[in-house]
Amino acid sequence: MKLSEIIEHLDLEVVTGKDFENIEVTGGYTCDLLSEVMANCNKGMAWITVQSHLNIVAVATICGAACIILANNHEYPSETIQKANDEGVILLKSSLNSYKLSGELYKLGIR
Amino acid sequence: MKGNAPERLDVLIDELKGIFSNIKAHEIMNTSVVVIRPDRTLYQAKELMRLRKISGVPVCDEKGALVGIVSIEDIIKALENDYINDRIEKWMTKNVVWIDENEELIDIVEKFSRYGFGRFPVLNPETKKVIGIITKADILSTILKKLKNLYVRDQRMTNVLEKSDLHSISLITGEKLDKSGADFYFEINYSDINMAGIGAAKLREFLLSRGIDEETVRKVAIATYEAETNVVIHSESTGRIYCFVKDDFIKVRVEDNGKGIENLELAMQEGYSTAPDYVRELGFGAGMGLVNMKRCSDKMVVVSEVGKGVIVEMLFNIKLGGEKS
Repeated sequence: MKLSEIIEHLDLEVVTGKDFENIEVTGGYTCDLLSEVMANCNKGMAWITVQSHLNIVAVATICGAACIILANNHEYPSETIQKANDEGVILLKSSLNSYKLSGELYKLGIR
Repeated sequence: MKGNAPERLDVLIDELKGIFSNIKAHEIMNTSVVVIRPDRTLYQAKELMRLRKISGVPVCDEKGALVGIVSIEDIIKALENDYINDRIEKWMTKNVVWIDENEELIDIVEKFSRYGFGRFPVLNPETKKVIGIITKADILSTILKKLKNLYVRDQRMTNVLEKSDLHSISLITGEKLDKSGADFYFEINYSDINMAGIGAAKLREFLLSRGIDEETVRKVAIATYEAETNVVIHSESTGRIYCFVKDDFIKVRVEDNGKGIENLELAMQEGYSTAPDYVRELGFGAGMGLVNMKRCSDKMVVVSEVGKGVIVEMLFNIKLGGEKS
């Protein structure tokens, strides 16, 4: 499914400036432990977390996540947003918590 | 060289004893054990053994309790003497030597040499139910697994570490290492945890630019990220990342001169971490770092001495027929 469709269906807020028109989301992974994410979040997956510090950009880049969805109304610090813009990582956010976000994604057919 | 050889050997043997003596049967056994009922025929036992490629089958009653065992020899005798269609219970070995699930490795090895059987069923001593089976191959693979996690630190290694020889040889191949010839170099000269992973991200870009396939690059990047993060969180010093790109493999070496790892065996365990709370809150310190490195790399050697730093060397095979130009 296209990331743009997911953003629309889940009413996600787009925080970074990068164009996401052609990004395809192949799966999802929900976790706040970075090593677990590294080991299990594969290329093209949407990563749902409550971590917002600078380092999540490096993690998303290395594991090839399609985007980061920050759950539960958490805010990204400005340096994270800047770094993500530099690295081309897409940052999204939502008022839903990790559990509900995962469920909604699942309902959309992202499994 | 300090210390004498026999003394060192004693220490080594003691260390090895400690590691192997407490392995219990339930850690060694193969739990996917096939059993057969006594009212089946020897012909059916033969077919079962042929299909599952096994050389013996425990015989269990309807409650799963052990009542006998049939081996290839029993089948051969049955074929020779033409009773292959008899029921198993008539010919099976009824006095089965079995292993208690809590029996230790040394006693199990002793049983193999005393009885000369190829396999022993493992039983829960109370229920007498078969919960697994042990062959010599199972013992060997358990020992190999333990050996993989075993790091012997002795006087020789201290001497080498003191002379810093390890800093100029490859831990995996033992070859002299020309670090100036590294294809990629990154200095971990920061201590801000937020910045961890910059080196790994740079290495990732570099490898992709060299045309290495994405799957291999992902593994290298994850393992390097973990090693880099470890330097930042734990070493209390700076570190260096070297990467060597060869035709069929990539070698990454991450070094620091920090405080070292106190107990490598513990550190290798999944979930074990000595990370302080403030980094845990950020999602680091899950105790997965070394585990992830080992999982991603094809070979990994870690050398550490308290107060003298850590050297991690990892080798990644480049997939044959990959996209590398």
